[in-house]
Amino acid sequence: MAEITEQLRAELSEALRQGDADKAEALTRQALDGGADPLEVIQGIIVPALTEVGQLFQEFKIFLPELMLAGEAAKRATAILEEAIAASGQASASLGTVVIGTVENDVHDIGKNIVSTLLSSHGFKVVDLGRDVAPSAFLDAALKEQADIVAMSSLMTTTRPSQRSTINLFKEVGEREKFKIIVGGGSVNQQWADEIGADGYAADAAAAVELCKSLIQVS
Amino acid sequence: MRNAVRLVDVLDRMEAGPIIEEEDFDMRLVPETMAELQAKYDISIPPDAPFVPDDDALADRLFEAGLEMAEAIGVLCTDTGRRMLWTRSEILDAIGIAPDHLTVGAFPDAHTEYKRLPEDTRRITIKGGPVGTPSPEHLYVAIQQSYAQEPLVDLMIDGSLETVYGREGRSHSPWEVLLSWHEMEMVLTAVQRAGRPGLGIGCTENSVSEIGELTVTAADRLGPHHWHHVAMISEFKTNYALMTKVAHIHKTGSILHSFYNTIYGGTAGGREGMAIAIVGGCILMQMAYMTTTHSVSPTHPFYGNTTSPDILRAIAPAQQALSRNTHLLNDVVITPVGGPGTKTLLYEVAAQSLLAVSSGAAALIGPRSAAGTEPGHVSGLEARFMAEVAHAAAGMSRAEANRLVAEMVARYKADLDQRPVGKRFDEVYDVVRVQPTEEWLGIYEEVKSELRELGLNLDSAAAHDCVGRSTTV
Ligand code: B12
Repeated sequence: MAEITEQLRAELSEALRQGDADKAEALTRQALDGGADPLEVIQGIIVPALTEVGQLFQEFKIFLPELMLAGEAAKRATAILEEAIAASGQASASLGTVVIGTVENDVHDIGKNIVSTLLSSHGFKVVDLGRDVAPSAFLDAALKEQADIVAMSSLMTTTRPSQRSTINLFKEVGEREKFKIIVGGGSVNQQWADEIGADGYAADAAAAVELCKSLIQVS
Repeated sequence: MRNAVRLVDVLDRMEAGPIIEEEDFDMRLVPETMAELQAKYDISIPPDAPFVPDDDALADRLFEAGLEMAEAIGVLCTDTGRRMLWTRSEILDAIGIAPDHLTVGAFPDAHTEYKRLPEDTRRITIKGGPVGTPSPEHLYVAIQQSYAQEPLVDLMIDGSLETVYGREGRSHSPWEVLLSWHEMEMVLTAVQRAGRPGLGIGCTENSVSEIGELTVTAADRLGPHHWHHVAMISEFKTNYALMTKVAHIHKTGSILHSFYNTIYGGTAGGREGMAIAIVGGCILMQMAYMTTTHSVSPTHPFYGNTTSPDILRAIAPAQQALSRNTHLLNDVVITPVGGPGTKTLLYEVAAQSLLAVSSGAAALIGPRSAAGTEPGHVSGLEARFMAEVAHAAAGMSRAEANRLVAEMVARYKADLDQRPVGKRFDEVYDVVRVQPTEEWLGIYEEVKSELRELGLNLDSAAAHDCVGRSTTV
């Protein structure tokens, strides 16, 4: 495999930081054409660039749209690299697939958006189902995407019961053991997570990334 | 209400406005418009800006920016995928006929909220209550009574219920009907017990979907003189469920209070973007909901509060922009991180009250203690404190308010990421006599002494409303 030039490295990092998906895609193809190792592009360029962007967001040096655009650019670049990895018969570079959504009847989606973006910027494949997601929609998506983790956000005491219903649905159809299920959002805490039989809870987006990483390792 | 004659026209625009993908709206239209207007109107709020600026030119530029924002963005209805849009002159016409005062509640407890200017000597309206914070069912009546019995509370805003008949509540189901009825019945009991049967109530907080609102608004016991909430989804979005509430509230002749919680660092941006969003957001709520009173609760994405320094720096100039340039009735919600039994809560409440009063807000709402998410971590004493500080600040200059706010912020800043949620209601109040414990009263007195030492005159005849009255019974 050929070395990636310093210039290409710098340009791709910059395109990702700027959230310029077209440019990031073009540079990624250029790297592959030049014989770069796709895994090295992901680990050595995309993950560090996006980690930096995530940090800037936590410090309010950039805002949610910039964070999400960077996440989008990273997604596009990663998809191309994943294709190349699959074609060469190597194992996938993605840390795992997370299906995420805000539960049924809840419109509070900002926290979920932040978690979703940080997870994808740390190398997870994220399938975001949006807000007002019914238990059956979580189940369908988890099966279809062959997810590793199902993540549910809920901000209200009157919507969090839907997290319990979702977990129960997974159990009733005999699919619970296939997935790690995690919960979060303002109305949720560790005690609730334990009570409904979730595999994990995290209080903020950075902790959610750590939680997903640790769950993937043990599974 | 004369501004509600537009109802059908608004619904038409919801069905016929230009189509836009939600992602495009969130990721491009909103942030790009914000950035453009921030530059065009030279809106700059540096990290060390005063908490309460004294800069009328900035306030007026912010108003122009917010007005243009409202025209450029409009409100997206996520069910039709269309934007409701209005021209500048339609907007000016509509905000011109919106009410500048409003009487809420029934004899003998009716209260009139008035539009105020920055540094106005008129007393601000106090809407005390836990603002949606969930409470254990068995404490709910006592909690609400603890607010209703505070004579300085002019109007009340409910908390929500953790359970109903001991069952888990569920939105958009028969449980929501029961939750909303439960809330109404218990709040009416609480105001009766407090001796204020006509107190105007902000109800129902348990109506997450349209179902709860439809079942209790104008039900025989909850007359139209109470006030009802409709959220605008951050940023600048609505849907059929919310518009259903709007239509119903107007057709029953009830009072519509709308609210919008812009998120710090969200699609509107940082301090400047939030300030423009507050101004534009209130204008848009008037346009889409034909509302009588509006509130904003700009929220920190990691602490869930409104009292972080950067957020305060956005609220003050935005409030000044609105009150200098419109007669809209704009309320400020106080959401501290601190809970009952902590000094943090009181410092945060003092800071935001002083800021809102001197910047011309019409009413204060809350406090929504412990960020509104810790069940039962709320009590009436903090609403008393909020009112006392607010009334002592009537007529205060913005410069003086800024000095005091800075003193308060210095005392709580380090606690913001510590979740000092304090104690549950039954640990700070005797729940049978509904009175604060000696311990909680002691903390409250201590912070009042600190404020006196800093020069806030909590003991003047004016602060106690002995001279002149803004409201009569
Ligand atoms: C913003 C807000 C709104 C906005 C939402 C806009 C939007 N697009 O999301 C609007 C104005 C629309 C709104 C409406 C309502 N709201 Co509201 N809202 C809030 C507020 C102030 C902040 C929530 C927020 O966005 N925080 C910022 C984000 C970034 O934080 P977060 O979501 O907690 O996410 C972080 C972590 O929790 C974690 N996380 C999040 N999800 C997940 C998922 C996983 C798997 C993991 C691991 C971690 C994780 O990471 C995130 C980043 O660090 C809260 C109060 C509060 N302080 O939390 C009330 C609050 C949630 N709302 C409340 C209520 C009652 C309502 C209404 C019903 C009010 C009404 N009567 O109309 C309506 C509901 C409408 C509906 N159908 O759902 C109550 C709920 C009370 C309860 N019973 O539990 C709260 C607690 C406030 C209160 N005390 O009243 N609201």
